Amino acid sequence: MGIEISQVSKRFGDFLALDGIDLNIPNGELTALLGPSGSGKTTLLRIIAGLDTPDTGSIRFFGEDATRKRARDRKVGFVFQHYALFKHMTIFENVAFGLRVRPRALRPEKATIREKVEKLLDMVQLRGMARRFPSELSGGQKQRVALARALAVEPKVLLLDEPFGALDARVRQELRRWLRYLHDEIHITSVFVTHDQEEALEVADRIVILNKGKIEQSGTPEDVYDNPANPFVYGFLGNVNLFHARKELTPNGGEIFIRPHDISLSARDDSGKGIPVRVTTHRILGNRVRVELETREGENIEANIERKDWNALQDADLSALYCQILQGKIHAPDNTWSNYVI
Amino acid sequence: MSAAPGHTLEPRWLKPVLITIALLFLAVFILLPLVTIFSQALSVNLQDYLAAALGYEGATPELPPLFASLGEGTSVYRAALSDAEVRAAIRLTLLTALICVPLNTFFGVLLAWAVARFEFRGKNFLVSLIELPFAISPVIAGLIFILIFGASGWLNMIPFGTQADGSTLTLYQWMDARNLKVVFAVPGIVLATLFVTFPFVARELIPLMQEMGKDDEEAALTLGASGWQLFFRVTLPNIKWGLLYGVILTNARAIGEFGAVAVVSGNVRGETTTMPLYIEILYGEYQFATAFAVASLLTLIALVTLVVKAVIEYLLQKQRTG
Repeated sequence: MGIEISQVSKRFGDFLALDGIDLNIPNGELTALLGPSGSGKTTLLRIIAGLDTPDTGSIRFFGEDATRKRARDRKVGFVFQHYALFKHMTIFENVAFGLRVRPRALRPEKATIREKVEKLLDMVQLRGMARRFPSELSGGQKQRVALARALAVEPKVLLLDEPFGALDARVRQELRRWLRYLHDEIHITSVFVTHDQEEALEVADRIVILNKGKIEQSGTPEDVYDNPANPFVYGFLGNVNLFHARKELTPNGGEIFIRPHDISLSARDDSGKGIPVRVTTHRILGNRVRVELETREGENIEANIERKDWNALQDADLSALYCQILQGKIHAPDNTWSNYVI
Repeated sequence: MSAAPGHTLEPRWLKPVLITIALLFLAVFILLPLVTIFSQALSVNLQDYLAAALGYEGATPELPPLFASLGEGTSVYRAALSDAEVRAAIRLTLLTALICVPLNTFFGVLLAWAVARFEFRGKNFLVSLIELPFAISPVIAGLIFILIFGASGWLNMIPFGTQADGSTLTLYQWMDARNLKVVFAVPGIVLATLFVTFPFVARELIPLMQEMGKDDEEAALTLGASGWQLFFRVTLPNIKWGLLYGVILTNARAIGEFGAVAVVSGNVRGETTTMPLYIEILYGEYQFATAFAVASLLTLIALVTLVVKAVIEYLLQKQRTG
């Protein structure tokens, strides 16, 4: 087992940031801590790194108790959202820092340091940048330097705090694919914090969803997406339409969750199960179209359909369409889920 | 075209008027006195020198003030500098600065670090307390030490054993018997100077360190840096110009402080007079030549400080934008 977190709580004044967290992070996997702001995900990451101390609970690294260990002794690599590169040092010196500050007996030879730094700069595709200063680099380049710097000390654990948060959309996408690729190469136990569910789904081996200092669910991306444990997870992992279930479906009341892309639109009601709707507004998002619908009862539904399906409705009367629900889930008050069968 | 666009808020005449007023004010209230000190020092000295050299008694030849700016004037400086009391005053001033600057640099960095890096109860109160020496009059700063260490101060209320006749021996009396004096002696001068110069370093560093944030230091920590390595390799390079700026201001004030030091000094000539105090004594005794010589020396230090400060400000600016 990689990192074992048990019963970790942390309070900042009146605010309970973490409330009895139990979590195992498997060796060699890339785990995402996902949650809205204020959910405690960054606090948990900082506690793993030793930059914050838990009020209660313990942290074990590979079977060894690390709760009382200082950050500098934990052998973790930490990557910050705003890079935290040393502005007064060149890229080379930044990456070499962790090796240079070692006690004399453990410090590698100059030539060894040079070789190692160059290798790392090659790995992050910044070979020619060694003599530049951080201010001369783009955001994506800076974050790659920060990653090389963290990896230079050969950490047992790599921790990344919203590593792509400060980058623009395009670079962000590029860099997260690259991170996934890198992780497949070096297999270091990694934890990264994000509030972007798409990012977590795309990059992580496992996703841990946090809310208000508690873990709502953890599992593989498919698992948490297909079988969300509760309404919060369902809502957080993507847009969702929420309806109150009719008495026939659940006698005790409950809610139906339907994702916008699990709704299709047609001009005629061939199946006989369609709901008559009218289009209130639509927005073309590249190859998909977001359509806002209104039922006769006045309920609003958001649908997200393919562009070609939308184009097929070109000649139809947009105020008299039918929507079919492909799949959905019913959440009963006793916190059980069932499939919504039409 | 650079014609004033209609959408700017200020009328066109405002800029030259404001600049003219500012420059005039500066010329009258700062530049003029500055020039006067030097020209006075040099011409008065030169006149005395000429008078002595030519054997004049009483009336001396009138010289245009700035004529004397070179050459001859320096010899009277030398005369002033060879005066034992002047040298004692210079020595005391330098000693005070030499003690106060390192101490306040150390404690200033410590305080700035505590305020910028940690959250604790009463932090805002502490930050306002740092400003106290600036807020109160230097005379009161001096009086505080008289009230604590003086003959009628707190120290004379603390029992420290019994006297031969059975009455209580106070701490003050005990120290007095061993000739350990605080006020009207060098320690008092150092203490008062420490007090008035305390805020400079801390005040300069707190916003700088807050702006810098914790990230760099935390990054260094996770990379295995020790506390010292963290400070000298990461923190210090980031705050060095700000720190130096604070040190220079501390030094300038330590050398130039008059009010607080005047209260605790007791003006024992050759022993407890700093340069500013000695200038005042000389002036009071109508020794204008020596007074202006010492004054111009003090001003020269201030000017050098100003130049160094300007250079550092420039570098600081460059670091912030770069």
